[in-house]
Amino acid sequence: MKKIIALLLVFTFGLSSCEKDDICDANTPTTPRLVIAFYEITAPTTPKNVTNLKVVGEGETNGIVFNPTGTATGKYITNSNKISIPLKTNANSTTYSFIFDATNLNPAAINTDVIKFNYTHQDVYVSRACGFKTIFTLNPTSTIAPISSPFEQTDPAGDGLWMQRVIIQKYNIDNENDIHIKVYF
Amino acid sequence: MKMTYILKYTFSFCLLFSMFLGHAQETSTTTIAKETTKQKPKTPTAKPEIQEVKPDSIKTDRYGLRVGVDLYKLTRGFYDKDYKGVEFTGDFRLTKKYYLAAELGFEDKTTDDDRLNSTATGTYIKGGFDYNLYQNWLDMENLITIGMRGGFSTFSQQLNTYKIYNPNPYWGEQPPVVDGQKFNGLTAGWIEVVMGVKAKVFNNVFVGFGVQLKMLVANAKPSGFDNLYIPGFNRTYDGSFGIGFNYTVSYFIPIYKKKVIIPEIVKPTPKK
Repeated sequence: MKKIIALLLVFTFGLSSCEKDDICDANTPTTPRLVIAFYEITAPTTPKNVTNLKVVGEGETNGIVFNPTGTATGKYITNSNKISIPLKTNANSTTYSFIFDATNLNPAAINTDVIKFNYTHQDVYVSRACGFKTIFTLNPTSTIAPISSPFEQTDPAGDGLWMQRVIIQKYNIDNENDIHIKVYF
Repeated sequence: MKMTYILKYTFSFCLLFSMFLGHAQETSTTTIAKETTKQKPKTPTAKPEIQEVKPDSIKTDRYGLRVGVDLYKLTRGFYDKDYKGVEFTGDFRLTKKYYLAAELGFEDKTTDDDRLNSTATGTYIKGGFDYNLYQNWLDMENLITIGMRGGFSTFSQQLNTYKIYNPNPYWGEQPPVVDGQKFNGLTAGWIEVVMGVKAKVFNNVFVGFGVQLKMLVANAKPSGFDNLYIPGFNRTYDGSFGIGFNYTVSYFIPIYKKKVIIPEIVKPTPKK
């Protein structure tokens, strides 16, 4: 009996000292970003790297950081074939400018396309430490009332769209493992 | 007379604190004491022997109901604005060592975590037994107990505010979302291992302290949320474990007495 009590006491104090310190684990899937993959327009199955792409949110001065270790301008630039961009968690649309070849010294070479993503969002419970996450559903394409579209692509400079085809791959944005949008150029 | 009173009082408090300090020594004395009791039933097998024993060595064990209240829960409401609660405790002495024990309580607790703020409100009942490990001298009635309880709580939870966890706050951190959604009709069940000390400080008044280790066995979680706090169980962890403690003041209502003969070996320093 003495041993049992000693064991239980040790256990009690052990349990109280190694109490979970309520920090959200970075591996926990929380609010997902929109994943966009780029493909060759002439060979739609071939991934294609973008050239010095900079993505800036509407009303923001700085672009999305793609390389946290990069230089002052370099960190906003990507040359990969897949990007992840965060959506607003408290609005039903988010607008981004996709600036192709943003670092080119020749202004004529820079091409900017603007895409407004339309969606609905929902808050989902994750855990005590992480709180809630927001998941998104892109609006369906509908030409009859109520008219809705998952995205609206515009070309403010009038120099032609560099994103020649934008195809929704997945309307439900609930994780970052899937490709949600495919862009062909 | 007054001296013995104070002596009893100090001893009772020493007993209470012995739970914290020098516990190993305390238990070893109890086991020794237990060994002496094991010999005890052998000697007084025949009833007529009672007359032969000196009146000094006859001890009366009092049996009855002890009712109390948890002072920790009761007073916490005064300094913690997020907490209101009360717990009534009761035990009934069944045999020399075994006590039937139960607790009944109400709690209203607002849990304010980094990312969540929720309020749990409800009542609970716990029932089980206590086993007294302590060998009392003379007419003392102190207890060092180990016991088990089954607990059941019925409660509601309200999600007050929450924050969105966004590892990429490009659009800035969103302020907490006010929700106010209420989840009713929640239930939970658990098992506890209880260790406690009860010391008699006045005639029938006891002061006690208890620690509980809990394990959830049933937990009806609301859809789209979690039970962050269960009345009676306290806060929940990722697993099914929980802990709790109480600090009780109780009153013993004697109902009947039983005579016990103390063997000659047990003759401690005369107190009276």
